[in-house]
Amino acid sequence: MGDSQYSFSLTTFSPSGKLVQIEHALTAVGSGQTSLGIKASNGVVIATEKKLPSILVDETSVQKIQILTPNIGVVYSGMGPDSRVLVRKSRKQAEQYNLLYKEPIPVTQLVRETAAVMQEFTQSGGVRPFGVSLLVAGYDDKGPQLYQVDPSGSYFSWKASAMGKNVSNAKTFLEKRYTDDMELEDAIHTAILTLKEGFEGQISGKNIEIGVIEADRTFRRSPDCSSNRRLSSRGRVAVSFSFRRCFKYPE
Amino acid sequence: MSTEAMDVPKTGFSFDLCRRNDMLTKKGLKSPGYLKTGTTIVGLIFENGVILGADTRATEGPIVADKNCEKIHYMAPNIYCCGAGTAADTEAVTDNISSQLKLHRYHTGRESRVVTALTLLKSHLFRYQGHVSAALVLGGVDVTGPHLHTIYPHGSTDTLPFATMGSGSLAAMAIFESEYREGLTRDEGVNLVTKAICSGIFNDLGSGSNVDVCVIEKGKKEYLRNHLTPNPRTYISSKGYTFSKKTEVLLTKITPLKELVDVVQVGGDAMEE
Repeated sequence: MGDSQYSFSLTTFSPSGKLVQIEHALTAVGSGQTSLGIKASNGVVIATEKKLPSILVDETSVQKIQILTPNIGVVYSGMGPDSRVLVRKSRKQAEQYNLLYKEPIPVTQLVRETAAVMQEFTQSGGVRPFGVSLLVAGYDDKGPQLYQVDPSGSYFSWKASAMGKNVSNAKTFLEKRYTDDMELEDAIHTAILTLKEGFEGQISGKNIEIGVIEADRTFRRSPDCSSNRRLSSRGRVAVSFSFRRCFKYPE
Repeated sequence: MSTEAMDVPKTGFSFDLCRRNDMLTKKGLKSPGYLKTGTTIVGLIFENGVILGADTRATEGPIVADKNCEKIHYMAPNIYCCGAGTAADTEAVTDNISSQLKLHRYHTGRESRVVTALTLLKSHLFRYQGHVSAALVLGGVDVTGPHLHTIYPHGSTDTLPFATMGSGSLAAMAIFESEYREGLTRDEGVNLVTKAICSGIFNDLGSGSNVDVCVIEKGKKEYLRNHLTPNPRTYISSKGYTFSKKTEVLLTKITPLKELVDVVQVGGDAMEE
């Protein structure tokens, strides 16, 4: 491919008008673990599979879903360490906004600032783009919102979206099952079913993570609550989930 | 080249003007006043946690600027801080450190500790060499138990079972020294704190108005704003106020401007957006 001659330097356009490094970053995202998000009428749910490299890894120490502010949470697909850097920067930006305006940062503003950071790394010397796409879920005065931010720094608002390995199947599945007036309980159920679609092996409370935000505007994350999995006689997975008793981040 | 001529602004607080101000005051210039809280703030440790108390008067020299200000500041869900000294300084410093504690909580996933708040505050105040005029009483309950500290404007701290700060501190300390004992119950503690603040309110000119109390125990906190209001406004006249009659109106004549002046439209550009 003629592009390959231009794929070493980030700050050089290829003749076809692409920045090849960003394409490669998207490939890195595409080979990461599946994650998805669904916006319901009264809340947002984000979920990801948590496949650990070995059974010896202490799964309680791995937290893929993170909180940015009390009412905004995030999940990623791609390189974990890159996402940690972004989460840290976003938290600081949200806090600076809060200090300045004495108001919780609106979801769109935080997404915009995170995207600006990601874009910075596509136009500076000596750095590489972030190898993650983020799904940001939040609830503010404009209601529940779900945004996807890509390594290029572009962001989109989604009703439902998926990223990572199984993205095309997951998106098709979501397109079929999404309805505009879906409630949060249904959305959580759909999210888990979507994850199960592309899941290698047995799905359980231990190898997925779920984050939820509803009208009380408090982000909650799953691993620390009880999630019972019942397999009905037809082999369909039903997961019951008392997420109200879920781990709440310290305020 | 001229790169040396370009002044890169130094980071951090610039102490240059402090020398000038000192020189001017020596020459006799009266420096502009600022809003001091002129306060009584107290804290004590009781059997289950910490109780903080404060009065609510903010003074600007001899004038009461705010009759009901809030001197007990939020630092973390389990940590509160009373502030005496310059009101802006106490507000800004507690806000700043509260923000830093929040980021720290997100990063660690744990409840904030009182010593963390203490260290952040004292480092900040020491860095500003006493120019940030904030004297604080910091109290809270964390995993290691209840803690109470005082922080002085230059950055030194004390760890105490009961503490008072501000202009009314001597009046309040007199109450504590005679009546404090270990293992007070919640109600006894609240009463003692209220008594100490009242002593400051009534015996110190810089303190007054109402009593605010904050009780922090393991896992819960109660912010009792205006727990006691011993200085209600009782002098409002029940008859209301009447004012003497104004100058008598003898004649009213209204002349529309159009009869006197010709208003001509000159092609007018609409205002560009």
